[in-house]
Amino acid sequence: MNEDILFAKDQVFDLTNEDEAAADDMVDTQKYLIFIADDLKLGVIAEYVVEILTNQSITYLPRVPDFIRGIINMRGQIIPILDIRLRLGKPPQEDSLVVVLNLDGTQLGILVDAVDQMIDIDRSVILPMPSHSTQLLVSGMCSLPDGSGTMMVLDCEQLMPHE
Amino acid sequence: MGSGNDILDMYIYETNTLLEQLETIVLEAEKADTFSQENVNEIFRIMHTIKGSSAMMEFDTLTTVAHRIEDLFFIIRENTMSVVSEDNRPALFDLVFQSIDYFRGEVERVEADEPLNKDIDSFLTNINTLISKIKGEEPEQPAAAPPAKAPEQPASPAPVPAEAPLAGSSSFPHALRVTFDEGCGMENLRSFMLVTSIRDFCNQEDFCFEPADVETNPATSEAVSDHGFLLMFKNASDRENAIPVVKSAGSIQDYQSYDYQPAPEPPAVQAAPETAPQSAPAAAKSSAAAAAPAGGTGAAGATAGQQHAKETLISVNLSKLDQLSAVVGEIVITESMVTSSPDLKGLNLDTFSKSARQLRKLTDELQDVSMSLRMVPVSGTFQKMNRIVRDMTKKLNRPAKLTLIGENTEVDKTIVDNIGDPIMHMIRNSMDHGIEETQEERIAAGKDPVGEIILSARDTGSEVIIEISDDGRGVNDEAVLNKAIRQGIAFPDVEYSHREILNFLLAPGFSTNAQVTEYSGRGVGMDVVKRSVEELGGNVSITSELGRGMTTTIRIPLTMAIMDGMEVSVGNSTFTIPINNIRSSMKVSAHEVIHDSSNREIIKALDSFYPIIRARDFYQLSDGFTEIEDGILLWLESGDCSYCLFVDELLGEQQVVVKQLPSYVNSYNVKNFGINGCTLLGDGSISIILDVANLYKAAHGA
Repeated sequence: MNEDILFAKDQVFDLTNEDEAAADDMVDTQKYLIFIADDLKLGVIAEYVVEILTNQSITYLPRVPDFIRGIINMRGQIIPILDIRLRLGKPPQEDSLVVVLNLDGTQLGILVDAVDQMIDIDRSVILPMPSHSTQLLVSGMCSLPDGSGTMMVLDCEQLMPHE
Repeated sequence: MGSGNDILDMYIYETNTLLEQLETIVLEAEKADTFSQENVNEIFRIMHTIKGSSAMMEFDTLTTVAHRIEDLFFIIRENTMSVVSEDNRPALFDLVFQSIDYFRGEVERVEADEPLNKDIDSFLTNINTLISKIKGEEPEQPAAAPPAKAPEQPASPAPVPAEAPLAGSSSFPHALRVTFDEGCGMENLRSFMLVTSIRDFCNQEDFCFEPADVETNPATSEAVSDHGFLLMFKNASDRENAIPVVKSAGSIQDYQSYDYQPAPEPPAVQAAPETAPQSAPAAAKSSAAAAAPAGGTGAAGATAGQQHAKETLISVNLSKLDQLSAVVGEIVITESMVTSSPDLKGLNLDTFSKSARQLRKLTDELQDVSMSLRMVPVSGTFQKMNRIVRDMTKKLNRPAKLTLIGENTEVDKTIVDNIGDPIMHMIRNSMDHGIEETQEERIAAGKDPVGEIILSARDTGSEVIIEISDDGRGVNDEAVLNKAIRQGIAFPDVEYSHREILNFLLAPGFSTNAQVTEYSGRGVGMDVVKRSVEELGGNVSITSELGRGMTTTIRIPLTMAIMDGMEVSVGNSTFTIPINNIRSSMKVSAHEVIHDSSNREIIKALDSFYPIIRARDFYQLSDGFTEIEDGILLWLESGDCSYCLFVDELLGEQQVVVKQLPSYVNSYNVKNFGINGCTLLGDGSISIILDVANLYKAAHGA
């Protein structure tokens, strides 16, 4: 579903840029923040990132799925914390940090192992996942230009609660 | 919300406020069966403002309707209420109510960004018919009364006559120059509004104006603001009639009347105002004209007074208030974080403690003030009910009156906004099912033939209690029970108490009336009331005595933003339990605990048995006491559920600022597990606020 949206966006871009962009061959790039969770390099669109917090004490919230570790108090705002590792079905890790995202007005913190780098990526090099991939939370992938590996594009849509 | 278009927001707010005022006036007037002169002036003023502001917003249909009603009240104002014969009065009141509904509907459309209803002809015809009726029965027409021409005149703006004589000063000798307030804007439209008003009582051929194309040419607004707007009349009496219209129009700075005097060289019309600013003849003719520039008399004075009173009130966007109370809440917490900081332990800080005490006092005060900002009286909501009772009395032909008690009780704005529908529903219910169908029935029961519904509000300090009671038939337990059995809510073989039977009324899908009526009994009734009240953190209960009536009591916490809570700990988690729900706490030993067949724990307290819910088990916490001796039992009560919650320890009582949980976690239905919100503690950590009733439901339901 998110792929549709991505494609749709691309098309719109193509249409608007066709006239002027054709001439000077503009590259359509997007800034990503790459973080690491369970040996995966996951990239999230940098505009979504509100801030990165360390040493947060998370208040346990009962009766929610495991991967929601609880809530934190970020300067008076209550923010739910989703553990990416648990969401991917991996064991949790003690030493982790929180990346606070703002997804269409919904503030959500994700618990990750570490933050890797900030990088500009040409939208056109992001490829869709193989059609039979069962990888959760990921909507696309691309090789990193510096050859340090592959970035998986975090599918923020999947972070939102279903129903 | 409402950030984009301030003017539109203002318009909607203002119009709604005016309509509310209007409704109150008319309801009262209807009781007295007449409009006092004061009322008429007020209605006139309200309609006038609506007309003016609608014209500014270019809502033409609204302008036209408001204009016609203004005309109607103009007649009444000039001739006093005696001009309306007894027979016509109900029609007049109905008409005003209809117009209130019309305006409300349209304003709602404006708010929803929908196109306005263009079809106002039938409504205008109604108004016109009434106007001509009133006029038709007018025995003698005072000179000042508008000629009967008005009703036939189409209310929609007629095209400006192109052949309007431009330099007709000699044929239109009686002139009136109107100047508008500087910078009021849209002078051309304002001028045109004047023209339409005048056209109502003055034949088109009998007057002209300059510039002539104010309606179609926006550029004229500059000319009007520079030179004023010139109205010229054939007859002096028409001009006199025009003066009150001009006076009551908005943003009028001044006007001058003067007569055309044949001069050696006829001055160009454009220059006329400058050449002949003689107001002497007019002053002699009309004292009103003389008085007006000095500040106005009568209605104008009243208007000024009204505006002055308004200045002490300002309207603030609710989101700003929310922000303020959020920040104040943070300040209160930060203050206690600072003053009780562990770093200060063991230090001897006299001055610091003194200042800290002062700070605490001030923050408390600040908190009180910021809370009070959100408090508004329930009167607005209550007044609306008058209208409902009035309409239903007419429709059902069941005379009833509504008595309001404690209208000035103040509650949180959120509550006021959400309590209207439940109250309305209960009132309709009382009218429809409560009050006896015929007066004979009431007389036979020894009651006043006129039914009474009492709507009261009172404030107990921590909660507001709203009661809706009627003196009607009361609830027939047997009928309710039968119905409940038919609906499958109750079981045929079980004995139910009176109270339990009344509770069926609040069950989803229950509706006692066999017939669905326009007002109530759509099968979604009392349960909706119950739900919306519960959403506000309150509860509903019903008491009734057969033949004596029914009382519905709605209890709602005074404010949802702050509450007194008891902090308790279970393992590493902290929970806040509303003090209002706590009956007592007790230490018990293992042998006092009784186990039922399904191995649930039960405890005996004050000659009754109560189930025990262990917070640790219920919330699947990883730590916390398991031995009943180690922890403590909190006896909790909410509505009709009563139980004991087993927790580790009581940490103390505290006033807490309630924060809603992010919608993200609410989407996992935590509310159904008794998790209602959270609050920040002094050290910045989070405590989860429990909802006593939902916790019980989750633990014992299903």
